[in-house]
Amino acid sequence: MTNHTAGPGLPGPLLAVLPPNLRRLVAEWPAGLAAQVEEVRVRLARPLMVGLNGRDWFLGPRGELTPAAEEAYTVGADDVARMTQLLCQASLYAVEEELRSGFVTLPGGHRVGFVGRAVLEQGRIRTLKYLSGFNLRVAREVKGAADPVLPFVVDPSRQRVRHTMLVSPPGCGKTTMLRDLVRQLSDGVPALGFPGVTVGLVDERSEIAGCYRGVPQRDVGVRTDVLDGCNKAEGMLLLLRAMAPRVIATDEIGRAEDVAALEEVFHAGVSVLTTVHGASLAELVRRPALGYLLGLRVVERIVFLGRTRGVGTVECIVDGHTLEVLGGARC
Amino acid sequence: MLKVLGAVLVCLSSSLAGYELAGALTARVRTLRALLVGLQNLETEIHYGATPLPEALREVAGRCGPPTAALFEAAARYLREPEGYTAAEAWEKAVEGWRGEVCLRTGEAAILNGLGTCLGRSDREDQVKHLRLAREQLALCLARTEEEAARGVRLWIYLGLTAGPALVLLLL
Repeated sequence: MTNHTAGPGLPGPLLAVLPPNLRRLVAEWPAGLAAQVEEVRVRLARPLMVGLNGRDWFLGPRGELTPAAEEAYTVGADDVARMTQLLCQASLYAVEEELRSGFVTLPGGHRVGFVGRAVLEQGRIRTLKYLSGFNLRVAREVKGAADPVLPFVVDPSRQRVRHTMLVSPPGCGKTTMLRDLVRQLSDGVPALGFPGVTVGLVDERSEIAGCYRGVPQRDVGVRTDVLDGCNKAEGMLLLLRAMAPRVIATDEIGRAEDVAALEEVFHAGVSVLTTVHGASLAELVRRPALGYLLGLRVVERIVFLGRTRGVGTVECIVDGHTLEVLGGARC
Repeated sequence: MLKVLGAVLVCLSSSLAGYELAGALTARVRTLRALLVGLQNLETEIHYGATPLPEALREVAGRCGPPTAALFEAAARYLREPEGYTAAEAWEKAVEGWRGEVCLRTGEAAILNGLGTCLGRSDREDQVKHLRLAREQLALCLARTEEEAARGVRLWIYLGLTAGPALVLLLL
């Protein structure tokens, strides 16, 4: 058993969806480590797990953190049943859309992802039943995360934002950086003499703005219009038509229809900020849709993120036209 | 004088008892009718509004008069408690508390509890099916109670009115 200064206090909205048994375990944690909790994983008939600083800890029956799975509290069927009820306010019919997408966004932008048995209709998920695993993810804003890349993204001479693509494997801070980029571009960057511009944000999975009932729960800037829960291709075109943005931002593009919509946006004179899963330029080029997009040579800045100096390290910034390396930790 | 006073008291109390029993039958009819309307409202909230249960139950309670409002209000209250009651538990507790107030029979309480085990646990179409089934079953109970009331109300009133004088005659 570790003598780790036991635990973090979870944010209220996440505590509220935990069943009483599990809530008791985490409610007593001192607030000391609150800032380090990344997630809590509740899996039926398996040990209760907490993600702290990129490491997994198990949670003992008295709320203590332990590295040993066998000493941990085992999640029971009753815990899962009650958690399901609390998560959907005892109304599965009211969260049909969320069941299809596999997550619920809570006040404060925190998210609970879940898995169970999928019910398919014409090959697509109609709903999930027998929910058995939950991932409570604590939302955190890292204001200033985009500071190192802003000078490369903003073109001060023409007072415009360059078409920028943030690239990294999962969990390296792409979304956090995109959120901060959106916020700063929307509010303005006095240090670069850049006034704020209208930003249209397509937040398909409610990850960037963390909207709860349509209201952004995270700071995405004063001039940002958020289209929540809409697919990227359709959403970008809607924003273009409806909201006259100077910048359109979206997360995790990769499908052919996303790229087709991006082409429209590029040619409409609107700057694009987007993220892509990947580790290197060679990897991106091998993916058909992205290979085509990069071949167009319209993306002006490609920013590679990693974990070499912690989550969100800017590993490399590349000029999308010349493929010249402009900066970054590994350059 | 004392005998006359006693006879009047016996007649009065037997009449009151008759009216009381007849009133209970009428009240049961009224309650079952109001319950059916309440469940119809709940179905509308779920089907057209996809309103989460705590909110839907409170809405329905607001539209029902007493004593039916108390059932929906109590269920909504239990669901909002931090104990994490399931919909079935919250509904069962509410039914348990309510049935004493409104003379609900065991069969009727069983129909409501059966509905409680399904509440909130499936998609809208399925919820509607369960609510309609419960309403149909309760409608049969209502029809029986109305029949009982049609016969029973007069019976109890006449019995109350006549039993008192009959007892007085026997005692004199």
